[in-house]
Amino acid sequence: MIEERMETDVLCIGGGIAGLMAAIRAAEAGASVVVAEKGNVEYSGCGRMGNDHFETHIPEVHGPDREAWIEELLRTAKGEILIGKDLLRTQFLRAYDIVKLWDDWGIPMKYKGRWEFSGHSFPGRPMTHVKYEGRFQKKILAKEARKRGVTIFNRVMMRDLVCNGSRVIGAVGTHTREDKLFVFEAKAVVLGTGKCSRLYPPLTPGWLSNDPHGGSQSGDGRAMAYRAGAMLQNLEMPQRHIGPKYFTRFGQATWVGVVKDRDGRPAGTFVTKPDRRYGDMICEVNKLAPEQYTNAGKGPLYMDCTDIRDEDHAYMMHWMENEGYTAMTEYMAAEGISFKKHPIEFATYPLRGGGLIVADENAKTSMDGLYAAGDEAFGDISAAATFGYISGENAAAYIRVIGKKNIEKDNPVITETRRLIDELRGHENGPDWEETSVALQQTMSDYGGKIRNAALLKQGLQHLRRIRSKARNTLMAKNPHETTRCLEVLNLMELGELTFLMALNRKETRGLHNRPDYPFTDPTLNQAQVIRKIEDKAILDWKPY
Amino acid sequence: MPPVIDSETCIKCSKCVEICSEDVFYGSKKGEVPTVTYPRECVHFNGCVSVCPVPGAIRLRIPLPMQLVYREAEPTS
Repeated sequence: MIEERMETDVLCIGGGIAGLMAAIRAAEAGASVVVAEKGNVEYSGCGRMGNDHFETHIPEVHGPDREAWIEELLRTAKGEILIGKDLLRTQFLRAYDIVKLWDDWGIPMKYKGRWEFSGHSFPGRPMTHVKYEGRFQKKILAKEARKRGVTIFNRVMMRDLVCNGSRVIGAVGTHTREDKLFVFEAKAVVLGTGKCSRLYPPLTPGWLSNDPHGGSQSGDGRAMAYRAGAMLQNLEMPQRHIGPKYFTRFGQATWVGVVKDRDGRPAGTFVTKPDRRYGDMICEVNKLAPEQYTNAGKGPLYMDCTDIRDEDHAYMMHWMENEGYTAMTEYMAAEGISFKKHPIEFATYPLRGGGLIVADENAKTSMDGLYAAGDEAFGDISAAATFGYISGENAAAYIRVIGKKNIEKDNPVITETRRLIDELRGHENGPDWEETSVALQQTMSDYGGKIRNAALLKQGLQHLRRIRSKARNTLMAKNPHETTRCLEVLNLMELGELTFLMALNRKETRGLHNRPDYPFTDPTLNQAQVIRKIEDKAILDWKPY
Repeated sequence: MPPVIDSETCIKCSKCVEICSEDVFYGSKKGEVPTVTYPRECVHFNGCVSVCPVPGAIRLRIPLPMQLVYREAEPTS
């Protein structure tokens, strides 16, 4: 396999919103920057087809007291806040500046010439998200990055970080269309690799692509960070989302409707008629509502927009286009399905892998030269953009004071990556990546899913280790595309194993970590569980938020 | 499921091949009508449709397991 080797000051792995913002900022600060992206930066990541909500405080809207606005966010937190308050403060100190930057770059952050706030907020409470027309955001960010001299490699999947002691000095990966190894020597690396979405079965059993994240967010960043020795947090705390059934999509806050039961009764108490300003906050307060209604024999539950006024319908359609809903709205138009006529069933989506790479207010991880932002660190568009930018800024400052370290030709991480890929391409008669994914997902769901106990988790861990070892030795890839998919599923299996270890060690019930053998929430465990690899062993610990 | 390409109107520009995040068109050659090599990996985000310069030359077929569930309006008395 041929090898392409390059030097750069900063390597951004993943070209979503966070990765591109990191690249833009680091390049602005004078660093040479490379972005390595598995897909194409113009259409990759959660924001690929657009978004329409950006969480921010704006002084001329909310008044000058940002701190009071943050306190309100914490008070009315939709779900448990699993990060430190310092991170939130840092985000909102900088978010408004990012909003203005984006507007300057051509992502329209105003609606009809003014700041428009709607959705994601409770009636009568301060508004939290400014509406923006993000349909072309990825193209615009890619253009801004290129304008600053950033080199973009599309179709390159990074597999592992290369370290010198506890310092990250580069990364190795593979082209997704050619048998070609990529080695980047970098003084600093930013991980903006997205969520960990394919650990559990999708809404449609066996149909791996029915996932609102898309197929490529497979926890690659956290897996490589862990292997390099970085600290991960709370992998045992899975997440769930809510949205249309079975056409899985995020963006429930863009819908202007009321969540109602089969008899037309609202499931929540926030709105009774479609309200363009608030949507229905029941979707955020209780994402489990559709599943609970079904389990209690009261289902199904619908998002009912049938009472919507004509001007609000036009308003919703405008934002749906910007939120990336065109696949669904075009399908609806072709099928004669109408928001005005048809209540549309909502579902609680299945579990997805939780957790993150531990990173501080400077987006720095526990390793020197390694930064993380976006869904790998902590999510949503505003956080991805803001911490992406911060990570680029700090990576650029770091490379000014650190010398370059060469990666030797026979570095063990590079040798191992080459060997792994050669083996995947050489195996015959083994499982392919899809078979392996299904085996992983059923194990996670049955033994580490909605109900967990020590016996289930131990059994699941044993079983997963067996199938993981089999997969490692027999998994086969017919071409470079399948190699990429195999590397993804191997990453997911590694994260699955860590999820079992952390779930076993969290001896309480909290959020979606449901342990009937420890049915109560233990207040002393109101902290992050962390894991890192030390001398090839997974070491668990606790750390305050 | 897969994007469906009308080979009569496709101008073989490969824009869809360039941008697909899941690379369902893997192996397609420049200057030819794209091949949908991995239809089951399509995640229906519509990038290929939105980037196509010829309206209608590519469209998504939404697979049966992904059809929306909705209620027909009942006549009000």
